[in-house]
Amino acid sequence: MSAVWRASRAAVKRRRVQTFVIGLVVLLSTTTIVVALALLQASSAPFDQAFAKQRGPHAIAVYDPAKVTDAQLAGARTGVTAAAGPFGQVTLDVREFSELGPPGLKTVVGRADPGGPVDRLNLWQGRWPSAPGEVALNRADPGPDNDGPPMDSAEITLGGKRYTVVGRAHSLGQTADVWVTPAQMTALRPTSAQMLYRFGGDVSTRTAVQNDLAAVTAGLPPGALTAMQPYLVVKGEVAEDIGVYVPFLATFGVLGLIVAVVIVGNVVSGAVVSGFRHIGILKALGFTPRQVVAVYLVMVSVPAVVGCVVGTAAGTLAAQPLLSDGFQGLGLDVGINVGVWIWVAGLIGVPALVALAAFVPAVRAHRLSAAEAISAGSSPRTGHGTRIQRRLAGVRLPRPVTLGLGMPFARPGRTLFTVVAVLLGVTTVTFATGLADSLTRISTLEDRSSGQIRVRPSDGQLRIGGDGESPAAAPPVTTRTDAQVEQLLRVLPDVARVAAVYGLPVPTIGQTQPLTANFVRGDYSSMGYQDELTAGRWMTGADQTVVPSQLMRERGLKIGDKLTLELGGRRAVLTVVGETMDGAPGPPGMFVDWSVLTALAPDRVVAPQELTYQVQLKPGGNVAAYVAAVMAADPALEAWDTAEISDFAVTVIGFSSVLSLLLSIVAALGVFNTVVLNVRERRRDLGMLKSIGMTPRQVVTMVLTSMTVVGVVGGVLGIPLGILAHRYILPAAADAARVAIPHAVLEVWQAPMLALMALAGVVIALLGALLPARGAARLTIAEVLHNE
Amino acid sequence: MTTDICVVRLDDVRKEYGDTTALDGVSLEIRTGEAVAVMGPSGCGKSTLLNMIAGLDRPTSGSVRVHDEDLGRLNETKLALFRRHRIGMIFQFFNLLDDLPALENVTLAAQLTGTKAGPARKRAMELLDELGIADRRNAYPATLSGGERQRVAVARALMNRPALLLADEPTGALDSRAGEQVMDLLLDLNQIGQTLLIVTHDERLATRCASRVVELADGQITRERTLERA
Repeated sequence: MSAVWRASRAAVKRRRVQTFVIGLVVLLSTTTIVVALALLQASSAPFDQAFAKQRGPHAIAVYDPAKVTDAQLAGARTGVTAAAGPFGQVTLDVREFSELGPPGLKTVVGRADPGGPVDRLNLWQGRWPSAPGEVALNRADPGPDNDGPPMDSAEITLGGKRYTVVGRAHSLGQTADVWVTPAQMTALRPTSAQMLYRFGGDVSTRTAVQNDLAAVTAGLPPGALTAMQPYLVVKGEVAEDIGVYVPFLATFGVLGLIVAVVIVGNVVSGAVVSGFRHIGILKALGFTPRQVVAVYLVMVSVPAVVGCVVGTAAGTLAAQPLLSDGFQGLGLDVGINVGVWIWVAGLIGVPALVALAAFVPAVRAHRLSAAEAISAGSSPRTGHGTRIQRRLAGVRLPRPVTLGLGMPFARPGRTLFTVVAVLLGVTTVTFATGLADSLTRISTLEDRSSGQIRVRPSDGQLRIGGDGESPAAAPPVTTRTDAQVEQLLRVLPDVARVAAVYGLPVPTIGQTQPLTANFVRGDYSSMGYQDELTAGRWMTGADQTVVPSQLMRERGLKIGDKLTLELGGRRAVLTVVGETMDGAPGPPGMFVDWSVLTALAPDRVVAPQELTYQVQLKPGGNVAAYVAAVMAADPALEAWDTAEISDFAVTVIGFSSVLSLLLSIVAALGVFNTVVLNVRERRRDLGMLKSIGMTPRQVVTMVLTSMTVVGVVGGVLGIPLGILAHRYILPAAADAARVAIPHAVLEVWQAPMLALMALAGVVIALLGALLPARGAARLTIAEVLHNE
Repeated sequence: MTTDICVVRLDDVRKEYGDTTALDGVSLEIRTGEAVAVMGPSGCGKSTLLNMIAGLDRPTSGSVRVHDEDLGRLNETKLALFRRHRIGMIFQFFNLLDDLPALENVTLAAQLTGTKAGPARKRAMELLDELGIADRRNAYPATLSGGERQRVAVARALMNRPALLLADEPTGALDSRAGEQVMDLLLDLNQIGQTLLIVTHDERLATRCASRVVELADGQITRERTLERA
């Protein structure tokens, strides 16, 4: 066994606490780094990962079966690495709102199974169609926790015929809306043949994909290709959906990375600096400078390697549920994994960082003579630190407190690193707290405006249960009219307000597509929508409308615009007077007073099944009791409590809480390490102070005071950074989601909360300092003073 | 100046560190105003004996009483308060806080008791003046000579007017001239009534400052001799 290894092993054994701290800090830092990198990776290319995992088609090509045979299509493979099809395809009309969205044309494709070389579908519920009359719908998995309202129907009407929904699958490439068996497709008489291609060449642009497809179709009869869609179209749509997550994920990712790197650097370099005296002794014993450097690199590498291996595994485990939860609702969860490069970063990058952090001070020790190294290893003396200690001596505070106040200045570099760690910890906690508060406020606003309780009369269709199975019997259909339903809701106990909402796409002059109008009546004006205003004001007359921000952006509307609705030859001109964060339940639609519907369609009879009723109770009213009363009064009315925080809010609050906790622990460990090093360096001083009568409690006070300074500075600087991040990132995320948020949602910072945030820094610092402070109080004086 | 009042009483004190016996049935009395030197070869138990009397360590068996206080019965906080008010300690390597100037090192002992900065400084200045280093009050330990550092340490030890001054090899790290100065200082202190216990290898220090020499070997008192000082 070499002398270097012997010395290293002895050093590791002798410095058990330091070895443990390095291992733990590297472990948690690696965990943080892996989670942070996974978040950054997920926020940068979630679509690409999920698309690759599903082997999504780079191009969906639609052919005219009259002009090209299946054999010809199967044989055309120039530049193709994988292909699926031909599948029979037909477009059918859906004339009702369904889980597939508003009425319109839907693409139906005949496929024998959800697998294959291209477009491997995620069949997340039920089974694949195996008989005529059965269909599978293309929907993203909303996740196990998302029960949602009872929207799912066990049947769907396509082209006027009823089909049984036996499963739900998701195609990220959006290759179809509905799948049936090939036999069923034959019966439907397909009008097109669908081919799905993956290319080996350039697919980075729309033109490149078109060129790839042109190479495939070059040998086919002219006019055979009737339509094509490159995957970039879907990618663009998905990018808008996930954009809302990106700022949050990226922020936490960057914060996590910085904290982890700072702490690892501080801990490892501190370990080497505190070992200078030992280095001097090794040199005096005859170790060459290189051997000394090697001893220290080995000494810190042993716990660091163990820490980073365990940390990489822990990070991978911790990141997976965060990523899955974040992207599941978008159908991207299948491809979100912790990439190999992240493991490489954890397993090689972190040890490299550790080696670098140890190498810099080790090289300094390499240059020092034995005597200098021994001298440098004693307790630190800096001119600045001594001046401050001297000034503090005259301050009218208990002496242990003033001594503690001066301690951080003895090692300004180490203190700076520790402050940065606490600062970033506080920034994270502040940002996460503000974020959670804002999201909760948004949910509260939405809950209030959606009326606590939502009621929808049953349409008599079967409902899919959580397990995908349908109940045996269909629910009854109400015999009440719209007015009777509203009347019933108004007479039940505790009711305060009732509103009715009827969503209808209405052709609008100047708009290429109809605008969805939510015709509202009842007490909607006082139900909380006004609190969601992000610009302008609420409606004061029937000739005015308030539009949700998403619709404003999609249609390029602005306050003051005039919209002319046209229905059955009648027109109504409305002025946009306000913009709200969100609208009434359903697709984004402008608020329009019910009288406008009456004016536009005086003969229209609206069935209760077409409406959604919103109910608000008096303060203290029992929501569950009201819901039960509605169902008891008329079993055909479905009522449910809307007071739920959105899945998005839960997800974001979830991962922000996890990361805040992780970063706070890492920051506290940074403090712990700093105090351990400070105490070790000042053992002699502590022994002397105890010998002249400093009590254990005074020792603890002194050490905790030293870190309170760090906590206060970190807190004071971290809070504004956290607030700044909150102020910029939340609107940016909302902007990415193409919505605006009310200013009040950002006004979460009140004095008591700020005081709590300021305490966060102190708490992080004190938690980290407590154990080593108690250790300092228990130092054996005789041992310390006689070891000189 | 010696009286019959017993300041320190050790009864059959035994101290073991694992398999090693540092003190083996030591009994000793020190009276007020007495100057006792403890001598012996390295590892004989001198420092352990001093640690017992200072309340820095606890005996395995037997009792250590200082001013009728049984140190074995005191918890850590009470031991700290005992040291603060009853004991002054001088170390071979001075053990000054390097980031405080001489004056602040001395005042520290009083400030720990809650004495306000003003009175503490006044007392510290008096001591530094008496010890002849008042002009070095603002110097940091690193800029003081060995003898000056030990004088600062003595001043700090006397700050709270201790009943017993314990000195552990007080001249061990000093050159002969500085050593002489410290010897004179200890002698002067004893002559004005300060009770002293000095642990030393230095026969000259013992014979010059002490009125009684206790010799230790293998953790036991092997010989006691009373000295006639000039």
